[in-house]
Amino acid sequence: MTDAGHDPDVPADLAALRPVPLPMAAIRPRAGTQAMFRFRPIRNHVLVTNVDGRWLLLSRDEFTAFARGEVPEGSPLHDRLSSHGFLREGYRVPQAVERLRARRSFLQAGPNLHMLVVTLRCNETCAYCHASRANMDAVHTDMSKETARKAVDLALASTSPFVTLEFQGGEPLVNYEVVQEVVDYATRQNRERGKQLEFTMVSNFSLLDDAKLDWLIEHRVQLCTSVDGPQALHNAQRRLPTGDAHQKTVFWIRRINERYQQLGLDPTLYHVEALLTTTRATLPMWKEVVDTYVELGCRSLFLRPIDPFGFAERTARRLEYPRHEYLEYYRRAVDYMLELNARGVEILERYAAIFLTKILGGHDPNFLDLRSPAGAGIGALAYDYDGSIYTCDEGRMLAAAGDQSFRLGHVDTARYRELVGHPTVRALAIATNLDAQPDCVHCTYQPYCGTNAAYNHKTQGSIFGRMRDNAVCAVHKGIQDYLFEKLDEGDPSVLRTFERWTTIRAREHFVQPLSDASSPSSPAPADPVTPRGGPA
Amino acid sequence: MSTLPLQAPEGLLEVDLDDGSVSLQIDATLYPLPAIYAAAYVFIDRAYVLLDRPVDGRVRLTLASKAPAATPEDLRALVGEAANELLSAAFRHQLTQDNRVLVETVTMQAVAGAMGAPSLADLADFDFTDEALDDPLGIAQSWEEKHGRPLPSEASAKASAETSAEGADSEDSR
Repeated sequence: MTDAGHDPDVPADLAALRPVPLPMAAIRPRAGTQAMFRFRPIRNHVLVTNVDGRWLLLSRDEFTAFARGEVPEGSPLHDRLSSHGFLREGYRVPQAVERLRARRSFLQAGPNLHMLVVTLRCNETCAYCHASRANMDAVHTDMSKETARKAVDLALASTSPFVTLEFQGGEPLVNYEVVQEVVDYATRQNRERGKQLEFTMVSNFSLLDDAKLDWLIEHRVQLCTSVDGPQALHNAQRRLPTGDAHQKTVFWIRRINERYQQLGLDPTLYHVEALLTTTRATLPMWKEVVDTYVELGCRSLFLRPIDPFGFAERTARRLEYPRHEYLEYYRRAVDYMLELNARGVEILERYAAIFLTKILGGHDPNFLDLRSPAGAGIGALAYDYDGSIYTCDEGRMLAAAGDQSFRLGHVDTARYRELVGHPTVRALAIATNLDAQPDCVHCTYQPYCGTNAAYNHKTQGSIFGRMRDNAVCAVHKGIQDYLFEKLDEGDPSVLRTFERWTTIRAREHFVQPLSDASSPSSPAPADPVTPRGGPA
Repeated sequence: MSTLPLQAPEGLLEVDLDDGSVSLQIDATLYPLPAIYAAAYVFIDRAYVLLDRPVDGRVRLTLASKAPAATPEDLRALVGEAANELLSAAFRHQLTQDNRVLVETVTMQAVAGAMGAPSLADLADFDFTDEALDDPLGIAQSWEEKHGRPLPSEASAKASAETSAEGADSEDSR
């Protein structure tokens, strides 16, 4: 057991919210009656978690009695501790094993997310472009049909019964022919494979037209985009030569949502989802960002911090910010979202939904960077325009900057089993296993958390990283602190909203039929929080 | 050489501002050698790295910054980060030993789950020949075979035969 209470990135403005440190010397913990637990002060209470992810919030007196091994048998506290697996006596190992197995169910199958970078060409210029986009005349950065078909063959060879092919770029609509080829070819090939196959496109929509939209909707391609908030902010960060990136994106979001409604699809489930990249300019605009998403009909908002990949490394001086400022922004934005939910406006924050699904739901929604081990290579593969294959999206972003550390092979020569059994994949599985990671191994949030090897490699020089001065760790801890504070407060309205945020509704319409006449027989595990790659 | 304003015990830290390098002496009884290698390796993109052993029981880590005109602040950050990385690597080394079975089991499950069973095509490519058992360098040979010496059993038989012969001689000589 340990106190993982100190964070590397001290929230200056959140200092008042800091929990009072536990006087452990005065408590004089005595081992013996407790089962394995980790603890962390949450305001005036103490959060305890155990190996299979069950948790309790104890008062300081309750925690003191627990740590001293002085909880009277038959007392209400004894019953609470016992029923949640915090006492040795009555600890049921088989049940704990089943819970742990449910939390690690993603270990049973291979990559289900396959990202195809169909081109690096893009008509937008984003200040933080993680993908190192190329100019529109750089036709050599288009993926060929032959390369695309080979990538599909590898993706469909996955041991996962669920395969999502995600079109990325650049701007995927620039190489629309290859998108069509992939959809046609993968659908045909899958008739023998029988996987639950889905297609997703991450696009800025500016090159969309009605003919393309008809085809994409007919072929059940799920459409996602990027919205950086209100028009002025969006257009300042995501530049089209015509200066109207936001207007075009918003126009097509509305048009697509109308088309879904015309098809009779439930608009609460079927609508365009968008991704946000938080820059320094976004921080004071938390309310405007939330309002923009609500106004566009989006039901979820992923308050993602900026990453240091691609152009974002060069523009960091202008776009980056200390993570305690991000956490302050996060708290304000989610507080506001909770207020809206209490008033009947359904809007979900994705980070919160991912963590809460693990905390309250007891299972893992398979978000690739928030699981142990992470999904690099074993949960996802990225296929670059030239046929190179990487463990993850960040791997190909690093490759664009000359770092080939995460390259696994090439579609011309690679075989599926060699890719997922590659020494780099094994190294990443070990490096992102939190049971071997200093700090994480003792962290109260270990059952719900994860680390990103590519980020660690980029920012701290090794795939292991150092969590105490790791910005991603600071964000993960800060968000979970916030969520447990809310759980501790116990506001019934907030708890109802949290419960709804953990409810996964499969979007069956996007599962490809196995024959022209048939429709999917069972829902895909398409959790609403699976990563959909980088911003469009 | 001058002292860098870092809170390090006297004599453990040396800096050469002209050369843009900094040296940190590490107690080899506190930090396992694999951890020192792991921590030092993290810096090879930012510095030229040298490990040596100035005295028994100490390993010296020298980091010469690749950046031109490294300032004292740059060197302080470099060696400070090295010290942190060293602790992290040593702790991870210990955790890896403590949790080896758990980590190996999860990794095996993850990779096996992703790879699945080999297909017939995979098996067709499998090398079923016994060429791997060939031993052109004689590595699998015993020392006696390689050097033409008698095997222990032969040596023992020979010795006892000689003893018997000597005994016979003795008998004869009586």
